[in-house]
Amino acid sequence: MSAEIESAGVKRRNFLKVLGATSAVVPLVGCDSDGIQRLIPYVVSPDQTVPGVSSYYASVCRECATGCGIIAETRDGRTTKLEGNPEHPVNKGALCGRGQSAVQGLYNPDRFRTPMIRQNGQLVATTWDRALQLFSQKLGETRSKGEAGKAVFVNQHEVGSFPGFLDQWLAAFGMPAHLSYDAEADLPAITAHKQVYGAAWPMFDFGKASIIVSFSADFLDNWGMSVPQQLAWADARGQLGQAPRFVYIGPRRSLTGLNADEWIAAKAGSELAIAQFLGGKISADAAATAAGVKKEQLEALAKDLKGKSNSLLLAGGFGPNATELCIAVAELNKAMGNVGNTVRPSEAASGFDRITGGADMRDLADKMKAGAVSLFMVRGANPAYTTPKSVGFADAMGKAGFKVSFSSFPDETTALCDLILPDHHALEQWGDADAGNGMVAIQQPTMDAVFDTKATTDVLIAAAQGDPTTAARYKEKDFRSWLLARFPGGAQAFAKALAKGVTSGKPAVSGPAGRTLGATSKATDGGKGDFSLVVYPSPLLGDGRGANKPWLQELPDPVSKICWQSWVEIHPLTARRMGVERGDHLTVTTAAGSVTAPAWPYLGVREDTVAIALGQGHTAYGRYAKGIGVNALDAIAGEEKSGALALGGLKASVSKAGGHSDLVTTEGSARQHGRGIARAIPVAELANLEKPSFRGEPMPKEHEAEGKKEETHGGKVGVAPIVGAFGGEEQVAGNPDQRFGRGLRSPVAADAQGELADSSAKDKGMYSQSHPTGMAKRRWAMTVDLARCTGCSACVTACYAENNIPTVGAPWQGRTLNPMGGYDDRPGANILKGREMSWLRLERYFEGGEDGSSDFEVRFTPMMCQHCGNAPCEPVCPVYATYHAPDGLNVQVYNRCVGTRYCSNNCPYKVRYFNWFGFGEPDRRQYAFPEPMNWQLNPDVTVRGKGVMEKCTFCVQRIREAESRAALEHRPLEGDEFTTACASACPSRAITFGDAADDAWTVSRIAANDARSYHVFEELNTYTAVVYLQRVNHTGAAVATVAKAGEH
Amino acid sequence: MATMAEPVGPMRPNIASADVQLPAIKTFEQVDEEIANTLKPTKAWFLGLMVAVGCMLLGASAWTFQVYAGLGNAGYVPPVMWGVYIITFVFWVGIGHAGTLISAILYLFRAGFRTTIYRASEAMTVFAVMTAGLFPIIHIGRPWKFFWLIPYPNWRLLWPNFKSPLVWDVFAISTYLTISTTFLYIGLIPDIAVIRDREKNPTRKFILSILSLGWKNTDREWRHFTRAYLFLAAFSTPLVLSVHSVVSFDFAMALTPGWHATIFPPYFVAGAIFSGFAMVWTILIPIRKWWKLEHYVTLNHLDATAKVVLFTSLVVGCAYLVEFWVAWYSGVKPEQDYFFNRVFGEWWWAAWIMLICNMVLPLSLFSQKLRRNTAWLFILSIFINIGMWFERFVIVVPSLSHEFEPWQWTTYVPSWIDMSFLVGSFGWFFMWFLLFIKQLPVMAIIEVKEIVPARRAAAGQGGHH
Repeated sequence: MSAEIESAGVKRRNFLKVLGATSAVVPLVGCDSDGIQRLIPYVVSPDQTVPGVSSYYASVCRECATGCGIIAETRDGRTTKLEGNPEHPVNKGALCGRGQSAVQGLYNPDRFRTPMIRQNGQLVATTWDRALQLFSQKLGETRSKGEAGKAVFVNQHEVGSFPGFLDQWLAAFGMPAHLSYDAEADLPAITAHKQVYGAAWPMFDFGKASIIVSFSADFLDNWGMSVPQQLAWADARGQLGQAPRFVYIGPRRSLTGLNADEWIAAKAGSELAIAQFLGGKISADAAATAAGVKKEQLEALAKDLKGKSNSLLLAGGFGPNATELCIAVAELNKAMGNVGNTVRPSEAASGFDRITGGADMRDLADKMKAGAVSLFMVRGANPAYTTPKSVGFADAMGKAGFKVSFSSFPDETTALCDLILPDHHALEQWGDADAGNGMVAIQQPTMDAVFDTKATTDVLIAAAQGDPTTAARYKEKDFRSWLLARFPGGAQAFAKALAKGVTSGKPAVSGPAGRTLGATSKATDGGKGDFSLVVYPSPLLGDGRGANKPWLQELPDPVSKICWQSWVEIHPLTARRMGVERGDHLTVTTAAGSVTAPAWPYLGVREDTVAIALGQGHTAYGRYAKGIGVNALDAIAGEEKSGALALGGLKASVSKAGGHSDLVTTEGSARQHGRGIARAIPVAELANLEKPSFRGEPMPKEHEAEGKKEETHGGKVGVAPIVGAFGGEEQVAGNPDQRFGRGLRSPVAADAQGELADSSAKDKGMYSQSHPTGMAKRRWAMTVDLARCTGCSACVTACYAENNIPTVGAPWQGRTLNPMGGYDDRPGANILKGREMSWLRLERYFEGGEDGSSDFEVRFTPMMCQHCGNAPCEPVCPVYATYHAPDGLNVQVYNRCVGTRYCSNNCPYKVRYFNWFGFGEPDRRQYAFPEPMNWQLNPDVTVRGKGVMEKCTFCVQRIREAESRAALEHRPLEGDEFTTACASACPSRAITFGDAADDAWTVSRIAANDARSYHVFEELNTYTAVVYLQRVNHTGAAVATVAKAGEH
Repeated sequence: MATMAEPVGPMRPNIASADVQLPAIKTFEQVDEEIANTLKPTKAWFLGLMVAVGCMLLGASAWTFQVYAGLGNAGYVPPVMWGVYIITFVFWVGIGHAGTLISAILYLFRAGFRTTIYRASEAMTVFAVMTAGLFPIIHIGRPWKFFWLIPYPNWRLLWPNFKSPLVWDVFAISTYLTISTTFLYIGLIPDIAVIRDREKNPTRKFILSILSLGWKNTDREWRHFTRAYLFLAAFSTPLVLSVHSVVSFDFAMALTPGWHATIFPPYFVAGAIFSGFAMVWTILIPIRKWWKLEHYVTLNHLDATAKVVLFTSLVVGCAYLVEFWVAWYSGVKPEQDYFFNRVFGEWWWAAWIMLICNMVLPLSLFSQKLRRNTAWLFILSIFINIGMWFERFVIVVPSLSHEFEPWQWTTYVPSWIDMSFLVGSFGWFFMWFLLFIKQLPVMAIIEVKEIVPARRAAAGQGGHH
């Protein structure tokens, strides 16, 4: 890579262009035998590129403001998969579902393909020359009229040099600094942190704390920086016996709340009273009355906190008094001596400064209405959608002067603009970002532009250069050169840093950029009703920006497990009282307006509370977002003190709306019915667990001989099962000297490898000795640590991305309803029929709370093919489409499958998925990869045809790739050399994959040593390769006694 | 005109015991006339055929659409991966059992009441198996690859998986179809000769001559014929028991709760005979009425079949109850949950349709009055057909919808396309049957002649041994 950067010759982007053109004629979809496919070979192959071998480029994720480091896998000029960058100090190799989905933004079929210009009220395609000319002309006009001061630039909040660069550019044109807008930003917390800690976002040390109390701070959802927080949280909980107990206080149990050991169901806005009680300012009685909870619960919490040396209190949310709450909680941290201990302002994260929120957007709208905005520029942000109706942003835009959008996607805001100068996607352009820890991350293009777009940075430079008054300020021809000129260490350091993605130093322009309007918040008007409405940013769709990515629409919400839909969360007892069934439409009316959506009875909201997620209800924003669900902001008006929209605790009335929609959910039964799928133990019992008998000692030789002797009969040496620790019934695959025991046995593979064969026979086992796997003595296995798993579902999206899993829930993918050809066009129609294809699903089971009480527990379990050693699916397949590979994998051969679906019937885990339609056939209504979405498809994985069964393969393509690589390098596979897509993405590091027959792999050590390990449905003798590690519950009473007892 | 030669040897098991004699039949000519009468097309017959072909075409077009557009248009809700198609498959295989039981087993057991009903039953068997055989192909995801289930020599040296019950099905069904067709045809040969001799149309006469293999009614022919018939009867007998046992293995070999039970083979065989006899009523009661053949299939005959139905109903009912007991006794929670769910859960209505139609209503047959009431028998036969279809529904759908993994619990609603296939299957079946009754005698002319008084009078003696 470095060679390219330095050489003046072929630039990577140039050869990528050539490459892109070449591969455009190579249909990636399907092994279609009908069409003739043309492959045009390179005459001169570009350097460092081998066709069919991936290149990896380090870059920066821009899906939210965190700015995680990513590594983009690029094959033949197309980016196919994003992984976390292990070198990046923020996310350390993990990547959330939103980050994974960035490629679906890159290849979104609804992206702007060219610049657009408004003619006769319509946006029409134009050329860059014309568009840039118009832009320059408008810039000139604004200045010549003396209206430059009235120009406004709204940018999606991001970290790095761009905001500073943008401000410099604006200044050059005499325009005020930009507004860095983030509708999801936790302004109350940021305000409080600044005030109390002196840092916008200090470092929170979850691992050091022995108790964590969250006051509506959803640190596993959207609060702060979710991926690094999740890593820290999982590491903290991974300490098991020493792990912190976690208490969640708030009106609704979010994903974060579901990970808590105890939920104090306080009324929205009353968290402050509890904080005041903990600070000794008010009595327990007063706090309990205000919060609507039991006094004992609060007293126990206070006692708990007193008994702990290290506590960590977090506050957030968007309640009516969120800022006061956050300040009170920060003060509590201070008073308890946590600052400098579990809260470290000295290690604060950057990028939380000068974010504007709802109040500023209202102010901006008012300015526009007053005609005080001459030139409106917007990039990334979508204020027309993310502001409440009452703000009237869309109407206001009509009164602004000229409106320019640099956004990549058509959305509610761009629909009102006069000129669209579509930006490159983040994966197509240069940039940088502060990575924390004194590091800077480089954002580099991972491929050539998909469409005729231009990086806004380059557009701005070009515009400045085209103007004689500003030209002198911009000597570099483009943003890359601009960055390079300012990079610490110069071009050489830059080239070096590109490989890793991060290096020590600071972004070219660091320090806070942008401005805030400092608008005064407008409190929410009273409103009527017995209910309290809580609106929250969706953990998947965020403030709505994820809604155009089918992976995020299809991924069930981690809490409700509903997708492609909006829903109203209502307590089951309340629902019963109102005569509301699951799916009945509810109208929630506040002073600002009303929202109607189907009801989802949920134990995790207070009886007097209803909750709705943000993110749906788009009127533009592409085919996947338009017309799905409702926008909860319709019921919102006003902001709380910090300027963020007041989303929580609005007075609302709730009524039945008459309609009914089936909930698009992947949940069957939300309870385990005693089946022991997701298991947990109280921390007190951790020490009593016995070490698993999973892996026995190396087998004594005499036993082996004995076993053989016993089985010798009739003059023949027969099958020789080993008698010994395992009762002599099973032979296992793996190193013959090293038995791995109960649960990781693989009798079928052992048979395949000839271990059960007649030793005098010529043929050993059922497979040829020259089998492509080399008859490897392996047992690919996986451990899933439920103590670490938070249920975030990033693994699911990673699986979709890696394995070409089609999304099936778009409204046009439904089945035909009658012979006349009418089809089921409800969003999620196929999912209503259970046809989702998620090879890996995240099950969410409730424990307790049958009486409707808030004292219930939730257990998350990722469920994928268990790669049984004795798989029920294999014997029933009439055509050997599913069979056992010698290395213990349960293999599905798509080409051989005739689709009897018997394998699925016989699978106790129900992890097999059938292709009901031609999801991979471009001429079908159900086609899941409309051009250019198909560019994302992983070339190593088949796109399955209609009528075949599919399932998790343990990322067999990665296994074989690693094996081939090792073989080419004449070495054996090394321990932990590679991992599956789910394990690689997991921000909790809950999944470990590897060879259980080889001690070099972490997975074998975990499976052998962790006392919490168990198999799901072990009683069925399936000998699964997936080992689950029980979740550990830190119940209140137990904490004090067993704080240090969990040694094992 | 074919006439009857003396029976050969002491082995003829065709006896008219006292209760099933046909006193109303006086002469051989009467037999020829009355049975061949069914070969004359009537308006009602054409109308019936049109309806049947129409239904068949509905199914055929549904299939065309499904092959093109994908199985997703059917009502499947994963993990209910089997639905109406497999239910209907098992239903028709079950129907197909009575025919061979009547023609082969009852022949060997010298049950006199089979004589007049066996031909229709046997034809019903062949057509039912032909119908059933369609469904595994309709149901698979890639029907154009169905031949991969058949072991055929191929360049890739790939064989089907002989461990899979679906491969056993392929063998069981194809064997059964082969044998029952052969058995039907062999038994038909002398009768074809009868209608050949009556035929005026030279083309038809030519075809019938070939089909009758030039039957000349010689002693030698009769000797060979009776031996062949006896041999085939013995050959088919085990199939009656094995085929539905194999079909039941589709379920019993799986570990799905509600399927994984050793009781399935006998329970399925009893159910098959039960449903087959019901279908015989559904077919024969109208035939004997419309073609005025009441003196062939007498009330005594129907009474005897009703006793078989009653007996198999009791066996099936017993199996239902044993299943509940075993589920309780097993101590396996998913199994217990399933059986509780079967009668009190989401699918209670299906289970109760099954229990009432198959277990409760047939108890009426303890009454001789009802056993001899053709209207009641016909109504009951419809109920039993419905009940037996629902029996398979109760086995397939509730099991799959409430398996081990609660997260994947689901429901199932058949779609319009499933129902088109169900209707289409009846259309296909009745199309063949209607074509059959117009072309070939629906009752065994020669065997009836064996037991008519005229023959006995001519022979100057009573029945043999």
